[in-house]
Amino acid sequence: MSAAEIDLRFTLNGREVQARVPSHTLLLDLVRERFGLKGSKRSCDMEVCGACTMMLDGNLVSSCTTLAADADGRAVVTVEGLTPAAGLSRVQEALVLHGAVQCGFCTPGFVVAITHLLQQHPNADDEQIRRHLRGNLCRCTGYVKILAAVRSLAGTEPGLQPLAHERT
Amino acid sequence: MIRFDSLSEARPDSIDKVTGRAVYATDLDIPGMLHGHVVRSTAVHARIRALDVGAARAAPGVVDVLCGADVASLGCWGLVLKDRPILALDKVRYVGEPIAVVIADSAEAAENAAELVEVDYAALPRVPDSKAALAPGAALVHESHSPLEDFYFRGGARPIDGTNVFHRFLSEVGDVAAAEAAAAHVHEDHFSFPPVFHYALEPHTAIADFREDGLTIWSGAQSPAGVQKVVSRLFGLPLAKVRIVVPYVGGGFGGKASVKIEPLVAAASWKVRRPVRIAQSLSDSMLTCRRLGARITIRTAVDREGLILAKSADIVLDGGAYADTGSAVATKAANRIIGPYVIPNLRLEARAVYTNTVPGAAFRSIGGPQAVWAAECHMDNVAAAIGLSPVEFRLRNLAARGQRIRPDLRPLDMDMGELMGLVRQAMGAASAATGPDARGLALAASDPGIVAIGNALVRLKIDGSVLVAMASVEIGQGVHATMARIAAETLNQPFGSVTVLPTDTGTAPFDWGTGASRSTVIVGASVEAAALDAATQMLDLAAEALAQDRTALALVPGGIATPQGFRSFHEVFHLAYGVDSGEVIGRGALNPRSRGGALREAPLFWETAAGMAEIDVDEDTGAIRLRRYASAADVGRVINRVSAEGQDEGASVQGLGHTLFEALEFEDGQPVNASPVDYNIPTLDDVPDDFHTILVEHHDGPGPGGAKGMGEGAILPIAPAIANALFARYGVRVNDLPLTPEKVWRALRARS
Ligand code: FES
Ligand code: FES
Repeated sequence: MSAAEIDLRFTLNGREVQARVPSHTLLLDLVRERFGLKGSKRSCDMEVCGACTMMLDGNLVSSCTTLAADADGRAVVTVEGLTPAAGLSRVQEALVLHGAVQCGFCTPGFVVAITHLLQQHPNADDEQIRRHLRGNLCRCTGYVKILAAVRSLAGTEPGLQPLAHERT
Repeated sequence: MIRFDSLSEARPDSIDKVTGRAVYATDLDIPGMLHGHVVRSTAVHARIRALDVGAARAAPGVVDVLCGADVASLGCWGLVLKDRPILALDKVRYVGEPIAVVIADSAEAAENAAELVEVDYAALPRVPDSKAALAPGAALVHESHSPLEDFYFRGGARPIDGTNVFHRFLSEVGDVAAAEAAAAHVHEDHFSFPPVFHYALEPHTAIADFREDGLTIWSGAQSPAGVQKVVSRLFGLPLAKVRIVVPYVGGGFGGKASVKIEPLVAAASWKVRRPVRIAQSLSDSMLTCRRLGARITIRTAVDREGLILAKSADIVLDGGAYADTGSAVATKAANRIIGPYVIPNLRLEARAVYTNTVPGAAFRSIGGPQAVWAAECHMDNVAAAIGLSPVEFRLRNLAARGQRIRPDLRPLDMDMGELMGLVRQAMGAASAATGPDARGLALAASDPGIVAIGNALVRLKIDGSVLVAMASVEIGQGVHATMARIAAETLNQPFGSVTVLPTDTGTAPFDWGTGASRSTVIVGASVEAAALDAATQMLDLAAEALAQDRTALALVPGGIATPQGFRSFHEVFHLAYGVDSGEVIGRGALNPRSRGGALREAPLFWETAAGMAEIDVDEDTGAIRLRRYASAADVGRVINRVSAEGQDEGASVQGLGHTLFEALEFEDGQPVNASPVDYNIPTLDDVPDDFHTILVEHHDGPGPGGAKGMGEGAILPIAPAIANALFARYGVRVNDLPLTPEKVWRALRARS
């Protein structure tokens, strides 16, 4: 089957990349299969669960229902891009220390969504936290510790620059 | 707030997971791998008149198509009954049953070609639910039964010939009829519990590589030994030639226990002799397995003082089209409906029946939520009928620590009164907003920890680093970190020096499987024993090499403390072997013969839970909101506090889902909502701020340091606790889960 192919140029986690893909390729498949970044997960495949959450030009998207073509000329950030070269980002560290990670399949999506939340609302209150994260499902934790981890971050420091935050 | 103090204390798996580096079965890429797509039955119960895969086979990218005829000679498989073909051959028994696998060089090509497969069905009479299954003259889902004995569990299924009943369990103690005749009150209720989907976020995925020299399967399987045993028999391969590798598992909750899609994936690879991957969609997984629904009649006889004289229960479980481990679910439901009470006369009957729906499967505390839903709602009904408060009625009947709730079950190893007190204390005074009444309580005692056969290897290296090999699967519960901690403590080495090998039957010694809250106790004790063995060997070697009295030596981080000072492991090996090389290998095992047979009696320990809920009800819509919740469990010893709490929080919130809205629905056998869009699970919004998870430690369990298993019990009390709160506040009783706004609204309206 020779679907029309398209050429894409975009930044992936801050790096200029290009790819030629069939026009119906999904962003999640492009990132996982072509670029081998498998942190973003496919679960519901229907924009329900948030396991595939990425940032596209600073906005949250479900990459399982976003066309790769939509990334053309834009900036894509995945969990790998939020991970410092050494150590963990503040968000990652808080999730680990609070025991907010069990099977971990939802976790990359949460890392992206929580990072985005704190960029928008560094001092997010509970209402904002709940509104922002209700699109991310977790079947393991019951959310109690995820909520605790996010609360510990909200308001602890103004702004958040996970890429700059390094820890050894 | 309880948390880890530093990253070095935290679970290593969680660091892999937050960075996206953790590898799951869905992330693996095996060189030369092809992709399979499963063609599923769209018929509820039908003969397959014709199957045409010609067009699919000719489609671009398709390598082959596996059909029922290809695998017919391999026969059927199962865990308690050999009832399941690898692919449907002559008939299909449920919507979603695999009929063929299209194997192609890309997942997309396989999926596209799967649409070209043509099936001609001749409809058969349906058995849509458990009522229909038991009706006189019901169609048979399976014409005959072939039970397996002592194959996966001890004992086996007890089917009834010529019926859809694939297992019947009956337990009678004393004389219920006589006790009822003498009772002051006899109260009977009927309850139901729907099929529920596990909704592990990672759908079932497996890769099989069938070669001349053996078979390797990568799968998110909870029971690698079970998978190994079943495929080894199906394909006639020695166990040593079948290797099961389990990377991180993206949730299971029983839905990946026993054996699921592995025989099918193995057969696809067997056909094409190349690695084949089948990555199911979440919708496919909803057609793969689910919790068994239940209909329960429960009756209690009490005397004038409110003492329970007799209890009887008739439990019918909807096992779906194939038995899987449904017989154990039925038996456990009958055990778990007793509750932590002294009841001199019992008649407990449970039947698991075939229906033309998605196969039932283990799910967190098998049979427990169904049984406890009925038992604990019923307790409040009986209390109300005789004019006692729910707390008082329970207190009068609680079994004490050391008492047996049934003669063939181990005496209770915890104090239920203590747990009940703790949840009541945690909830404190009622909130003004809801008033004093909108609270409900429920208790549960369940019997986990099955098949006490575990093994472990612990290898101490010259540099003091430690390798642990054991087969427990890291499915989110933190079992690998727990094993590392046990090995580190036993060898007196830092936590960070221990590496737990990824689960692989090629390197790990036998363990029955990850489930039934058994790993910390059974595998944990095996790791502890293996570490002790390694310590002994190391100290013996040091005593000899250093010409020291063995009793004067002790393990310290990186080496041995001697009366003359510290000697590193390097030095000891160097002295002993003449070269700076070597290791000691400790072996540990637990089985029913260990500890003088003390582990033989079932259960290995009790898993208990108390839960108390406070709710809000919107009387205009019938919507229930959980405002506050407290649960307590006696876990013996906490090894990793945040992980242990997280287990019970997760279990409670899963229970909240089946309490308020979850049900996998079928209409005349057709799945109605088997898609992530239509089937909802709790979100962050459903979880109250005020959520207490209490863990009681008396260091009296059979595991390392007195640990008991945990993580399942907390799913048990939440549904009846919420329903009892509704009953207490509004006097309405809804008997059928879930407690949807419509049902609650109707009940409220019928009352006024
Ligand atoms: S996989 Fe994309 S939202 Fe669930
Ligand atoms: S940790 Fe398993 S789904 Fe969230």
